Amino acid sequence: MDKGLLAYLLIPLLSAVIIPFAARNRPRLADILANVTLLAGLVNIAWMVLRPSVVADGFADIPGDMLFPLLLVGAIYLVALCVTFFSAWFMEEGQPNRAAYYSLILASVSAMTGVVTTTDFFTLYVFIEVLAVTSFALITTDDSRGGIEGALKYFFLTFPASALIIAGISILLIVLGDLQFETLRIFMASDVPPGPAVFAAALIMLGFLIKAGVVPFHAWTPDAYQGAYAPVSAHLAGIVTKISGVYAIVKLGTLLRFFDGRASALSEMVMFLGLLSIAVGALAALRQKDFKRMLAFSSISQVGYIVLAAGLGTPLAVIGAVFHLFNHATFKTVLFLNSASVEKSAGTTDMEKLGGLEHSMPWTSWTSVIALLSTAGVPPLSGFWSKLLIILALWEAGLRGYAGLALLFSIVTLAYFMVMQRKIFFGRKSQAAESAPEVSAPLLAPAVLMSAVIVALGLLFPYFYTYVKMVAERIIL
Amino acid sequence: MTYHNLLFTLAVLFALWAVMAKKLLTSAIMLALVSVTVSLIFFNLGAPWAGVFELSVCAGLITVLFIGAVSLIRSTEEKHPESRAPFYALPLAAAIFAIAGWFYLPAFFDELASWRRLADGSGTIGTALWDLRRPDLLGQVLMLAAGVFVIKSVFPRRTEK
Amino acid sequence: MNLILIPIVLPIAAALALLLICEKTKYIKELLAAGAAIVSLLAAANIFLQPPADLTLRWFGSAAFTLHADNLSAFLLLAVSLFSAAISVYSFSNPAKGPAKWFFFNLLMTQGFAAGAALADNMVAMLFFWEGLLVFLYTFIALSQNNHAARRTAMKAFLINGVTDLCLLVGITITAYIAGTASMSEIARNKLTLEYGWAVFAYVLLMIGAVSKAGAFPFHTWIPDAATDSSATFMAYVPAAIDKLLGIYFLARASVYLFALNQTMSLVLMTLGAVTILVAVMMAFVQKDYKRLLSYHAVSQTGYMILGIGTLNPIGIAGGLFHMINHATYKSCLFMTSGAVERQAGTTDLSKLGGLFRAMPVTGLCFVIAAAAISGIAPLNGFFSKELVYKGALDTGYTVFFIAAEIGSFLTLASFLKLGHSVYFGDRPENLKETKEAPFSMLLPMLTLAGICLAFGFGAELPLNWLIVPSLAGMSIPNPTMSGFHLDKLYFVSVIVILAAVINHLIGLAAGGGKADKASDHIHYAPVLKETYALAERRAFDIYELGMDKAVPFVSRLLFKADRFFDWAIDALPSGVAGFLGGSVNRFHNGSYPLYMALTLIGAVVYILLAGGLK
Repeated sequence: MDKGLLAYLLIPLLSAVIIPFAARNRPRLADILANVTLLAGLVNIAWMVLRPSVVADGFADIPGDMLFPLLLVGAIYLVALCVTFFSAWFMEEGQPNRAAYYSLILASVSAMTGVVTTTDFFTLYVFIEVLAVTSFALITTDDSRGGIEGALKYFFLTFPASALIIAGISILLIVLGDLQFETLRIFMASDVPPGPAVFAAALIMLGFLIKAGVVPFHAWTPDAYQGAYAPVSAHLAGIVTKISGVYAIVKLGTLLRFFDGRASALSEMVMFLGLLSIAVGALAALRQKDFKRMLAFSSISQVGYIVLAAGLGTPLAVIGAVFHLFNHATFKTVLFLNSASVEKSAGTTDMEKLGGLEHSMPWTSWTSVIALLSTAGVPPLSGFWSKLLIILALWEAGLRGYAGLALLFSIVTLAYFMVMQRKIFFGRKSQAAESAPEVSAPLLAPAVLMSAVIVALGLLFPYFYTYVKMVAERIIL
Repeated sequence: MTYHNLLFTLAVLFALWAVMAKKLLTSAIMLALVSVTVSLIFFNLGAPWAGVFELSVCAGLITVLFIGAVSLIRSTEEKHPESRAPFYALPLAAAIFAIAGWFYLPAFFDELASWRRLADGSGTIGTALWDLRRPDLLGQVLMLAAGVFVIKSVFPRRTEK
Repeated sequence: MNLILIPIVLPIAAALALLLICEKTKYIKELLAAGAAIVSLLAAANIFLQPPADLTLRWFGSAAFTLHADNLSAFLLLAVSLFSAAISVYSFSNPAKGPAKWFFFNLLMTQGFAAGAALADNMVAMLFFWEGLLVFLYTFIALSQNNHAARRTAMKAFLINGVTDLCLLVGITITAYIAGTASMSEIARNKLTLEYGWAVFAYVLLMIGAVSKAGAFPFHTWIPDAATDSSATFMAYVPAAIDKLLGIYFLARASVYLFALNQTMSLVLMTLGAVTILVAVMMAFVQKDYKRLLSYHAVSQTGYMILGIGTLNPIGIAGGLFHMINHATYKSCLFMTSGAVERQAGTTDLSKLGGLFRAMPVTGLCFVIAAAAISGIAPLNGFFSKELVYKGALDTGYTVFFIAAEIGSFLTLASFLKLGHSVYFGDRPENLKETKEAPFSMLLPMLTLAGICLAFGFGAELPLNWLIVPSLAGMSIPNPTMSGFHLDKLYFVSVIVILAAVINHLIGLAAGGGKADKASDHIHYAPVLKETYALAERRAFDIYELGMDKAVPFVSRLLFKADRFFDWAIDALPSGVAGFLGGSVNRFHNGSYPLYMALTLIGAVVYILLAGGLK
């Protein structure tokens, strides 16, 4: 673990511990503490990575192994800040577990930071489990029946995954005698037959595939996202499952050196599962009646793109995967936060009962449009570039069929989001939409901020590209 | 040797308590204590990796999971009090087992201790935890904190109802 | 700044500035437009006298857009600027021009783009300006009157010219491809011949673009409609002057400068010219409306120019170009007189007009001069250019074209006798007793143009030596021996034609019961012609109307069906498939935990088996 990044883990943990004591008599203090902690972290990262002198030197000042974690820590803090800021106004006054809610979010931020900064499989496992526990508690925040059902499904499907991961780690320990990432990488680069190590890695990979919600291990995702407390859905879908599952898949893919064909069977399977996710997620999303459930299936489909690219493992594909991971965090957060706004304003997320919200909720409507266009990969938004990189990488690797299908399902993505936008925001006003005012400005601010990030990343992609490219090169070589 | 025996005794006591406790929560905590003692035994026998795994997974994670699950099902538990009679036979069984063990087990323990010399002895529990698995410790702290927050988050609502 | 930019940039800048001026202001718009046009005219004159250096703009490093003022371009630019200046002065107090702001905007835009088309050396750049003219042609007509007919005619003009401009576009593309460059001066150094591959196709497309701009048969049909649905000023400016100038300019460029044509193509061009002359003049002869009659003549006169250029001999080409400038002069003048009459008398219906010469002597005088010029009466300018065309046609050996041209001349004169007689002479109707002369601002341009008609007639040497010969030299055509007023047999033929026309008019008058506007009825209602005319009036020969009535509904229904099919293929088919697949995927997400668990376990088992290398 990099000591330079330890502060990003420890400070939220400290805040999380302080909050229950500090906010015992003043509940609003919990909001402020959580937001200030995350904002300070985000500003710090922005200062480290984006200050003009650093950008001008092409990030030469930042040590090589810190670039990728920094990018992800940035994404984690950004999404978490949006979620806490949103929650501060979304949560009803006097909810008894307000302080615990923020503590849990901060603890999950700590855990995610631990996940992305660690260089050891067992530490990775520990943090992933912390993440699972906090997510489980967060899903049940609003005490609804759906929440508890979703939480239990999450619990009981990710638990076997943990078992698989720990089994894989044990085998890996036997084979390699060590659990450092570096050891596996060096082992894979050598000429020793990789058999048992790859099998161990396959078990770990399977565990993470389940945690990432890749088809056919995705069954918990729709129920968990749909049932979860509204801002928590954004937190889960935007960043938690991506870090606890997808990040590890990308990392494993680079460690196993998928691009030089040493673990080709595993690589092919991961790619196949990625494509299957894309297809099943998109097709299932087409027929959904509930806003949040559709977003959940969309999330499965988008995770498929990242997994597909991670399975390919060439430098270009890894750039695409990393960038898509980041983009997914931006657009999915916007969409889930907007679904929370719609739920608060119109009282339901059932698309059959909604309609014509565009007139009363213009900001929500238009930020949704930006986010969905970015998801579908419409230029010049950021999602376009990452999908383009992924499809280009597939094409370059000679996988024309995969590239074509990835493109096709990108169109299906646009189709189901168009259906969603038409049913919820456009068209004639429905009964539920009649008395649905626009939510207050603080609730809109995170969605607007994220939309701005989407547009800015899309337009400034050439500058951002050098950064992401450097990240990918450094984590592969 | 006394240290060993003390740990064994403690492990058995905690295990019994875990089975016999009235509250599920107590059971979970006792189970965690069993794991802690077992991991200490592992360390003492020169298997620091196993000790660390046991400590991390069983003492930390599993406990938190149990506590989380218990906190969810607590309300139904109290409605249907179970018959506790069979459990009182347990200390008796344990006592019989202990007496039998007094005669047979020391030889086994000696053999185990000889195995210890074969393991290369990665140092004390302190060095193993602190030098090799420091990030894991952080993870453990986080795990415990998370467990506390889970309880804080879930319990108030359960008690309200 | 290069002087060559002024005739292009200044009118466009002035036009844009015009839009900023409030519609209610008086004279500011008019002064701005007239000022811009006159300054452009001065610049054009300067360019003509002292050709400035070429202005080359490079685009993407390779394609060079050059503005190049060779003799022909400079001559054309001068003519365009002259008519713009004349029209902008003329429109000073003409109410029948639509909203003044938009009128002058269109006028100046047309001027700027026409100047650009004249000066562009690169065919692509020329096409840009050419297409710009198309846009302003539409707005010009559509905004000249605020009624449905104006918009309909505007659309008709737009579509006809749009289609032919498309031909031009394709032609230019092919030509540039064959020649390897789009620069006309570079192509001219090594002229294309029709033997090479697609060259015939390319040339025919270029020709279609050029002659339809000039308004030749069968692309002329929007012009008579525009005459009734638009203003006289527009007619005097665009169809009478600018379009003819540009069309014939490019026809000459394409036929002489870019391509070396063969005998067959020459025959095609001459036939086209002759047919245009005859068809249009036959129609013109029987018209009962001042502007409509003139508009058919505008078409008919194009035939002479095409015929002249089609002869491909120096005299014929010189005649064509000379006729181009002459025609623009007198036809503009004639349309201006029609505008003046419309303004003063309130109508252009021949049967309601009469005896205006006394009331409007200056207008009448201009009309007489211009009418004489268009009819080819010596010694006015039309006579000389027509003589040159006749001589060129005779020199090719195909006498039939000469005869056709002479018949055209005969009918032209006859129709102008009828027109002049019914408007300016004879009895004045009661309601026109109070009619007064048109204002000075209208008379000045008319007088100027009539003066040019006279000057180019009596001093025909002057324009020939100063304008036409250098233009031909610019296209590397040897200097033809052109005499001005020559007493050869052609002169006698023209006298015979004049006499025949007068006799015909008298017969017509006698047949029409002394009414001048019925002087054409003996031909109009002659046995076979009557039905033909009736059909023509119903626009049965109008390819645009035919297309709109017959072909377009059919094609659009066909396209509609095809579109329905594609709609279905794009919409119903994938959504059906996706719906089916999505539905079956959905059936697996029923919330049942055991099902999910089973799915996960099966997946995990298969995964582990495959990851172990089992295939």
